[in-house]
Amino acid sequence: MVSIHVDGLTRRYGYRVALKNVSFEIPVGGVHALFGNNGAGKTTLLRIISTLLQPHAGKVEVFGFDIEEEPIEVRKRIGVVGDKPLLYGELTGRENLKFYSDLYDLETSTANAIIEDLAERFDVKRWLDEPTKILSTGLRKRFDIIRSLLHNPELLLLDEPFSGLDKDSTEVFRNYIEDKREDRTAIVTTHNLALGSEICDDFITLRKGEIVGQGPISEFDGNI
Amino acid sequence: MVTYEVNVMGSGFSYALAIAKKDLITQMRKRFEAFSMFLFAIIAVFVLGLVLFSSTFIIADSPTRIQVMTEIGSGMLWVVVFFTGMFGFSPVFISESETGTLKGLSLAPIPGWSVYLGKVIYGFLLMGLVEIFLVPIAMGLLGFAFAPEISPLYILVTFVLGTLDLAAVGAMASALTMPAESKATVYPIVYFPTATTALILLVEITRMLAIGLPIIGPGIIELLILLLGHVFAMVMLSAAVFQFTLTS
Repeated sequence: MVSIHVDGLTRRYGYRVALKNVSFEIPVGGVHALFGNNGAGKTTLLRIISTLLQPHAGKVEVFGFDIEEEPIEVRKRIGVVGDKPLLYGELTGRENLKFYSDLYDLETSTANAIIEDLAERFDVKRWLDEPTKILSTGLRKRFDIIRSLLHNPELLLLDEPFSGLDKDSTEVFRNYIEDKREDRTAIVTTHNLALGSEICDDFITLRKGEIVGQGPISEFDGNI
Repeated sequence: MVTYEVNVMGSGFSYALAIAKKDLITQMRKRFEAFSMFLFAIIAVFVLGLVLFSSTFIIADSPTRIQVMTEIGSGMLWVVVFFTGMFGFSPVFISESETGTLKGLSLAPIPGWSVYLGKVIYGFLLMGLVEIFLVPIAMGLLGFAFAPEISPLYILVTFVLGTLDLAAVGAMASALTMPAESKATVYPIVYFPTATTALILLVEITRMLAIGLPIIGPGIIELLILLLGHVFAMVMLSAAVFQFTLTS
């Protein structure tokens, strides 16, 4: 079973090529690292997989759904955490999560149970009813992670997920990923190569928009 | 630990309502846009009323003066609503784009048109709220009233369609302005020409409602149908192409 199938993917920004003829497959389950320096194309790749950007050439499928033909089917199955929390500052944490639950069409009772459960797990219950604009960066990041998990996604796309998180929060999120690794797939981009090497099963290294290395994490030599 | 199965199969309209509700709650807590819209509208109506009153003061014949004030005042009302709408409609997508939350809407498994429709509903309700207070004040200060023989239903339909049209155009203009660097310059360039068609129709319909032309025969009904067509075209066209503004 394949969670992501990428074939001949190319994306440009004007004349600059961000991704050049990239092809790979990622199996269902496990945690997969996406390494690369700034500007290597990691974020562009995640944005394309998450249907936020269109490819200029090539084909991308998520669980067999083409990202251009069936973007809504893809979005149902993915959870995305980026560098910036996707929260409304005027709304409380609970209101933010309720709003996103509505967009994922969760029933009220189910949504409430999920929010309580994840808030407990990520230790944000005390701040559920505070406007998110007054919360610290780390707390907002935790709420953003909860937002991405509300619909129990089959695929997690995590762009620098640990930036802004303190040690405890990193541990909690890491444990969550560990718990889910059997039947859920996660793709993680991180500059923290040590942490990436610890939690990931395999890796892909991008350099200037091209894949320059991939394989089991045990073969990763730390060279990006 | 809670175990759950998720079925994502709601209707696009329910998502639109969720987005509009979220925007209204956010707006009620910020109060900035509603307040600046209302303040601008009141000042504009007050100044225009003062100018209209002093410039028609020389007309000695009272019925003529009332007719002049009615004709000019009913037009001025929509000019004020038109410009007030700029305050309310321009941030509907621009602010989401600047705070990054638009990405959250783009990632949700909902059709693009429901995001657009949610913003139109929000813009309509926000502007409608301002109009509830603005219209009676404007009628007093601009010195016009609707003809007594005109059914209030026509007045209501005119304001509902007019506000919906401006909200539909305003939301799309805001979406198209998102990628621009000079948003304050680009927004009016997109909004003005598109909304002017509705403005001309609204001024004419309201003038007829105020001076009391007969409902039968060519007139108000035909113009209302034309306005309805414009609303329909604006909403459908914008909703159809909106997805491209999210992924471009």
